Amino acid sequence: MTNLPDFLSDADGGLVFIDPAGVRHEKVRPVRMFPLTNPDGWISLQNTSGVEVGFVEDSKALTQAQQKALSLAFARREFVPVIRSINRISRAADGHLWHVTTDRGPSVFRIETDESIQQLGANRLVIIDDRNTRYLIPDITVLDTESRRRLERYY
Amino acid sequence: MLILTDSRLVHTEAATAGELGFLAWNLSEIDELELEEMGATAAIHLVQKSVQIHAWRVTTGRVREADAFLGRFKDQHRSLRGDLKESTAVSTPAPDEEDFAEGNPEPAGFLAGPMARVFAFAKPWRGLMILGFLLTLASTATSLIAPWLTMALVDNVLIPLQSATDQVHVNQVYKFMAQLAGAGILTWVLNWARTFVVARLAERVTSRMRRETFEHLQRLSLTYFNRKRTGDLISRIGSDTDHISLFLSVNFIEFICDVLQCVFLAVILFWINPLLAVAAMGPAPLVGWLVGKVRGHLRGGFAAASRAWSAMNSVLSDTIPGVRVVKAFAQEQREIERFRAADKHIFDTNDRVNRMWSFFTPMIELLTDVGLLVVWAAGAWSVAHHHITVGVLTGFVLYIQKLYGRVESMSKFVAAAQRASASAHRVFEILDVKPDMPVNQGLHKVGRLNGEIEFKAVKFRHGSRQVIKGIDLKIAPGEMIGLVGPSGAGKTTLVNLACRFFDVSEGAILVDGIDLREVDVEDYRKNLGLVLQEPYLFYGTIAENIAYGKPNATQAEIIAAARAARAHDFIMRTVDGYDSMVGERGQQLSGGERQRISIARALLIDPAILILDEATSSVDTETEREIQAALDHLVKGRTTIAIAHRLGTLRRANRLIVMEDGRIVETGTHDQLLGQSGTYARLHEAMMEVTSQ
Repeated sequence: MTNLPDFLSDADGGLVFIDPAGVRHEKVRPVRMFPLTNPDGWISLQNTSGVEVGFVEDSKALTQAQQKALSLAFARREFVPVIRSINRISRAADGHLWHVTTDRGPSVFRIETDESIQQLGANRLVIIDDRNTRYLIPDITVLDTESRRRLERYY
Repeated sequence: MLILTDSRLVHTEAATAGELGFLAWNLSEIDELELEEMGATAAIHLVQKSVQIHAWRVTTGRVREADAFLGRFKDQHRSLRGDLKESTAVSTPAPDEEDFAEGNPEPAGFLAGPMARVFAFAKPWRGLMILGFLLTLASTATSLIAPWLTMALVDNVLIPLQSATDQVHVNQVYKFMAQLAGAGILTWVLNWARTFVVARLAERVTSRMRRETFEHLQRLSLTYFNRKRTGDLISRIGSDTDHISLFLSVNFIEFICDVLQCVFLAVILFWINPLLAVAAMGPAPLVGWLVGKVRGHLRGGFAAASRAWSAMNSVLSDTIPGVRVVKAFAQEQREIERFRAADKHIFDTNDRVNRMWSFFTPMIELLTDVGLLVVWAAGAWSVAHHHITVGVLTGFVLYIQKLYGRVESMSKFVAAAQRASASAHRVFEILDVKPDMPVNQGLHKVGRLNGEIEFKAVKFRHGSRQVIKGIDLKIAPGEMIGLVGPSGAGKTTLVNLACRFFDVSEGAILVDGIDLREVDVEDYRKNLGLVLQEPYLFYGTIAENIAYGKPNATQAEIIAAARAARAHDFIMRTVDGYDSMVGERGQQLSGGERQRISIARALLIDPAILILDEATSSVDTETEREIQAALDHLVKGRTTIAIAHRLGTLRRANRLIVMEDGRIVETGTHDQLLGQSGTYARLHEAMMEVTSQ
């Protein structure tokens, strides 16, 4: 039984990983290998000293309980809001101020250069603000027309 | 053997029974000698009185020599013909001759030379071109309605009103107003449509030029890029095509309108009153003469301006990537001076051009003002003698002002056309460069190679310098060869030849027994993995950089390659993992990290032949160990040619080849070579000394 890898949540939401050899790793840090282009696939599992102890090729293939444990661990440290609409982009003294609505509520952030807007794949954009927070637009074609028009001026 | 003398073409061969061993033709009797390529082989055909009388087969390896031979033949042939029959035009012009050089008598007409070639680029959009022309025609015609109506308005309404002799119906005023408004709106709509169609066309034409120039550039060999400045190429593809776009979308179409209007106007003017028309045309010959005088100067000036622009771009593309060196040596001021000089050169050349046309345009204006004066004088005289009415004179003056307006704007076209022409020439200069390595497509399609490489009496000449002076070397599939030797021994050149970045001057390189020159280059390079001293990463993510040689690689493959190259762990420490942007040339990574990514890149394409050019030279010992481990993975089961100064890198090599001055001086294993106490032993000793210090 211990030969199957497994995920468990410990008492305060930390991740416990049991590797194929049956070794139990506590306080495992899940790290996405492709956080922007394929967030659900290829998740690296690292121990407290940053050494990879295992990986998950497709998190969707895990059991419900395992997925829950994994997403709990992610929620503790991950913050990549998804932009739902762009309400206003205004010029600031240095760069531009973006007024947006994200999946976590409205937000205002500042970006400094054109390189802060990165295109990944055909319609996928990542915007990195001046505090190094990543905002994701998974598909620009599903944004409303107004938002898209505002966006088009900047990338 | 085919021999060209100054008056004859001679063919000799070993005489066989019943056949002549010697043939000769007088050059003056030969119509044409032409090279025809037919897939894998080529042939030289000798044509006399439109009949092919002899043919020689040429193997692909000799095509270049054959081409040169034909070039010499044509020169000789032409000069001979020029002497004999001066009236006969030369049937075949030399193919590579530049069609424009400063001071050359330029062909007549605005559309001659490079501009005609620009229009050849518009062919796919013929429909759009015709539509644009029709719209131009229509909008020009409608813009001439208004003065015509004015003439009637003055004579039928205004004059009667003023003199109050006849009763004028107020309806007539409304009618004229409505017609004038209608004409105005029609002109507006047509102009709008025309401008849109033409701008669309111009954008497509120049986009095609940009694309084709870049595509062509990608096909040129390394030799070309070594000769050219980056900034110059960037400005040719960037700003010169932009000049052409502007010219096509704005100036050219305006010019067509102007010409059409002038023709229409001239017809109308003569139809209204020939006497006044003749008076009005007075300045025309003078204008024509001025245009002719100024054109040549402008073209030369604009060509100089474009070159100056290139020079400035070169300074930029030199200084910005080299900014660390600039700062380290505190040479900011010097670079500022360098840029200032380049910039000053730009405004100096522009000043010269501006002086020319700033004088030219007002001069035209002055001439037309004189013309108008003449018209007023002649008109006043005609009205006084009741030859024409005031209305006709008013209409005439309106038309003549339109005409002069057109002439003025045509004069601006002269400058625009010369600028575009100079730019077009610069773009076509790139397009006209023939790839100096004939790409023999469809020769030997190869799949996966075994990886046997054989150098057979290889010599290579770079300019006048003989870099490789005869190399014979056979590398078995899967063997690892270490190339050692002092700097300048020709190691990198040898490797470049093996990659077929250059072609050998003499001898041959065989891969799997096939001459490299007869193998499809693209197929061959798919078998080739290259790890350089300075790994080059492109602007993009780490995953994209690893998958550069195999864009459709799966994420699993990318991760596997990165793990094998010992890159996975440091990639996972970056913020976005495999999705991290590495910046231009990979600035955000350390040298060792960049190197491991480039090793992963080579691993991913699973090459049969691997070239390592000082892959470990630029990193510290600790990183070298990591890279070494990555390389051990990479070389397994592949033919490997490795160049290294750190002899430790070559410990896995089956054989070490010691090169000196373009030749192989020693061959053997590490221990054998040490025992010979030759060049290798000396190099090894020097290295041991350095490490022990």
